[in-house]
Amino acid sequence: MAMPMDFKTYVDQACKAAEEFVNIYYETMDKRRQALTRLYLDKATLIWNGNVVTGLEALANFFDTLPSSEFQVNMLDCQPVHEQATQAQTTVLVVTSGTVKFDGNRQHYFNQSFLLTAQSTPNNTVWKIASDCFRFQDWASS
Amino acid sequence: MERNRQDETLGSWFKTTIPFGIQYDEKWLLNLIQKQCSVSFTPVEFHYEKMQAQFFVENANIAFALKNVNGKIYNEANERISIFVDPCDAPHSVLKELRSEKVEQIKLPVKERHDASQQSLDIQRLCSDPDLMTRDTGMLRNPRNGMAASLQIHPWNMPKLLPLELSNKKPYQLHGLSNSMPNASNTKNLNLSNTEVKSAGEMDKGERLEPEGMCADRNPLCTSFPDKSTNIRAIRDRFPKLLRLDGQELPSPVTVDVDTPCVLKPCKGSYFGSDKLKRQVLQFLQQSSLCKYFKDSRNMKKLTDPHLRVQLLKHTNRVIVHTLCVLPKTQHDLSSFVVDTWFQTVSACFLPRAGPGSRSGRKFSGLCACLHPDLHRYPCQLLQSVHRE
Repeated sequence: MAMPMDFKTYVDQACKAAEEFVNIYYETMDKRRQALTRLYLDKATLIWNGNVVTGLEALANFFDTLPSSEFQVNMLDCQPVHEQATQAQTTVLVVTSGTVKFDGNRQHYFNQSFLLTAQSTPNNTVWKIASDCFRFQDWASS
Repeated sequence: MERNRQDETLGSWFKTTIPFGIQYDEKWLLNLIQKQCSVSFTPVEFHYEKMQAQFFVENANIAFALKNVNGKIYNEANERISIFVDPCDAPHSVLKELRSEKVEQIKLPVKERHDASQQSLDIQRLCSDPDLMTRDTGMLRNPRNGMAASLQIHPWNMPKLLPLELSNKKPYQLHGLSNSMPNASNTKNLNLSNTEVKSAGEMDKGERLEPEGMCADRNPLCTSFPDKSTNIRAIRDRFPKLLRLDGQELPSPVTVDVDTPCVLKPCKGSYFGSDKLKRQVLQFLQQSSLCKYFKDSRNMKKLTDPHLRVQLLKHTNRVIVHTLCVLPKTQHDLSSFVVDTWFQTVSACFLPRAGPGSRSGRKFSGLCACLHPDLHRYPCQLLQSVHRE
């Protein structure tokens, strides 16, 4: 199942996307929460500690009611997702972990995974989150 | 000091401020000012506040005359002394004048004027109440205290008088309702008709009132606005909860709710999406040897070499399986797993995510795997187990 294009190119692209994206995502999450939904596809889904949130409107509402946050990302990994799985849509899987403190709550270790998909607009192509999975590592005791 | 409370032409209170007045003796300073002042004044509550000297005067004419003294007086070093005069609430000592028995005297008529069912208080009628007028309450013949009294001496309130600035004659102005009216917000309807509220600014001090209905017609205020909507807007700016004005329903007020309670959603267990998916994923987890972790960390936060980043990525089935085979033996406790199936497409690709698993005490979490619908061939893609470092 070799990829048609140079594998290294795919990886490089994925790494670049992941690094840039992660910086923007957590900065937006912490400091400009109201702009966060711009990073999501219209029909994106978030599974947040087992809670399902689907669609931009629900996402906007969810992030609005989420207390203010302070994220610290300690681990970042990524890889290009095989086109067989994505119907030839350029996709990157990004995995992060670190700590987060939500206002009014204690600090948690977290894991998060994103599927980023390249979305073309007339002016450029941007990475958008198609799917997002977030969980506290110690969710069972929170 | 006794003030003539019979005189209904007595007006508002004014605060006189002398910046850097702290360096001057009280008597000396007041004498100096009086010499230049065209009218005789009686300073009330002279005191020093920080670097300033301050005192109060009653009556707008006096205040005006004092204002004119500014720039005309000099200290012994021949430096000009400034003097500023501004309207204010009545000083504390003035309020104390109203003794509690007088408060009691007006309680009954106030109660009678108060329509508890409507939660309204007709201040206009109260201050022209003949019953009240005949009693020797003193302060009510001076209408400036009437409003304070009426709003405070309220069935639900503690009788506590507060400063109030009123116009020279009855009826009164809203101006001067102090912030310290604790329970004024109980009054739901406010009738200010014909009360000579001349400018919207005069209502600013009514900020602790939160009426839902208001009658403000026949006020110069209402005629000074260019149009009705501006009038409504100005009044509503000060009384945001107003629902009725002059008997007319207003559109519902829209406010910005900034204090949305922000609470974390309770955390739930594994998310599968559907039962069918759940079966497939659990079957896969039980049969696969995927649940291991890599020793070579490809944490991009620490690994910046792009070449290494490519190298450490296990690509192709053959490479992945080989990598897994060289790892130490593992023992996973599947019952401790939490799985989130968070992405599905038409081609039925899904990504289960394993949660905390234990292996001789070592915790790992955050495995992310992509599975292809043809479950006979797996794994398609293994990412990396993320272990807490």
